[in-house]
Amino acid sequence: MSPGAYVASFAVGLVLVIVLFLVITAYNDVMALQRRIDKAWANIEVILKQRHDQLPALVAAVKGLMAFEQDVLTEVTRARAAYAPTDTIPHQAATSDQTSSAVRSLLVTVERYPDIKAAGNVADLQAEIERIEGMLADRRELYNDQVYRYDTRIAQVPTSWLAAVFRWRPRAYFRADPGDAERPDTSLTTDGPA
Amino acid sequence: MDSSTTSVAFLLTIVGFGTGIALLIRGFISYRAAGRIGDTATSRVATLAAGEVRVTGVIEPAELTLISLLQSEPCVYFRSAVGGDDGLGDALGDDGHVLEERAVGFAVRDASGTIRVFPHDARVEAPVRWEDRTGMLGDEPPGLRWRLGSAFGPNEGDREAAAAALLEIHDPVADPSLTPAGRLDAGSRRRTYRESRLEPGDQVTILGQALPFSDLAHPAEADVGGTADPFADGGDPEIAADLAAARAAGTLLTDPDAAWGNAAIPGFGIGRPVRPATIDPAATPLRPAGPEAAARAKRTFTIAPETLVLASIDDAPLLVTYGSPVAVVERERWRFVQGLLGGALAIGALAIAALLVTGSAR
Repeated sequence: MSPGAYVASFAVGLVLVIVLFLVITAYNDVMALQRRIDKAWANIEVILKQRHDQLPALVAAVKGLMAFEQDVLTEVTRARAAYAPTDTIPHQAATSDQTSSAVRSLLVTVERYPDIKAAGNVADLQAEIERIEGMLADRRELYNDQVYRYDTRIAQVPTSWLAAVFRWRPRAYFRADPGDAERPDTSLTTDGPA
Repeated sequence: MDSSTTSVAFLLTIVGFGTGIALLIRGFISYRAAGRIGDTATSRVATLAAGEVRVTGVIEPAELTLISLLQSEPCVYFRSAVGGDDGLGDALGDDGHVLEERAVGFAVRDASGTIRVFPHDARVEAPVRWEDRTGMLGDEPPGLRWRLGSAFGPNEGDREAAAAALLEIHDPVADPSLTPAGRLDAGSRRRTYRESRLEPGDQVTILGQALPFSDLAHPAEADVGGTADPFADGGDPEIAADLAAARAAGTLLTDPDAAWGNAAIPGFGIGRPVRPATIDPAATPLRPAGPEAAARAKRTFTIAPETLVLASIDDAPLLVTYGSPVAVVERERWRFVQGLLGGALAIGALAIAALLVTGSAR
């Protein structure tokens, strides 16, 4: 083999190495992105479960003292009961939005009753619920950001070519679909922490 | 072309080939880093979850800061290097001979809160803060201010100590053997200095594991997954034997204050002690810090076990890079482009080498 042929072989080999590197890296990056989305979702589930467990305690603490605000309590209890970890993500987002809305109404109502706010552990529970709501908002933002990065990546060349081969599909954002906003509530239950 | 010219040209092609391949490899590494950073969403410190996270914020000193070697600047990381006549800088970013590289734990603050960072085993990308070379006559560059004291400094400015340091008269002709410069090769005619630093107030992007402080294998050294605690059962047998002998002799002290003496006093040796220390009667004692400083020192050195911190673990080293995530990704991608150019350089160098070989054969 002549020196020129060696050079040509090296050049072709180097280009192949670069292409192979890009393909392997793109595949690994998408796998890592999927794992990050799964992890971000798992972290949201933890918070949703925490809120699900905390709400009965808050409702129980204020129920006897808020005789004239039963609608608010009922709304919180209904929203809590609608929580279903096996639902699709948009459905869970809709449920979560309804729960957050009901909790906000409850907290605003509690603010109108200084006696209730000062009673027992209401203030602590209120602070805990507010902390959970804050964490949920942050982790929702993180999850959606991660999904955005994934969806963008698999839509871009050259990863889109791999996406077609490996059938990677865009992931759902943690936000309610328009139809889910009017999702019917489930029956009223006042059971304790699941 | 005569044989000597051919030899030089051949040597240059080998250098070009090696440089090209090295650039390509660095480009690959940078491409991976860009992917890791760019594909991870930024977490807010206040609502951080355990696991791999990307955090961006401003560096705040923790217990200690470092004093850099070449410029005596307070920082949390520095890498001081010196090169010979050929200079330090080349396409690969080679630092020449690294004199000293250190990092201490620090905190990163974003809009929501603060998190501790333990840089042990971390890959740190710090900006070059100073680079200069000796003059034609061998005179040192004006920015060179060798560190003459401890590598560690307090974490905050002490006005009185700073004023005292300014008023203190220093010997203008310091003993060269006491400075790192004195230890450098005296035969070197010209030297190039370079210092990279991460300083309090710098914006950094950190990619790594958030884990509870109690999960660090050896928190005192921030050594995650590294050397086991030599004082623990089953640790270093020599230390275990010493401990057993001390227990048997009744000389093992269980009270840290009694065992460590002045070293148990927060602030002693690294600032202002929070209570009077036992020192030589002839020495001038430092005025103890006030109650506020004492409380701050206590808070500073106490980390709750469940507190999340950023640290390296065995298969996931911490990546600490200067700048915002976007800037970091752009920098790493530019290095990848340089890597591709390096690949082209390698091919070109090989082609020229082939031509030289062919020409010589004729």
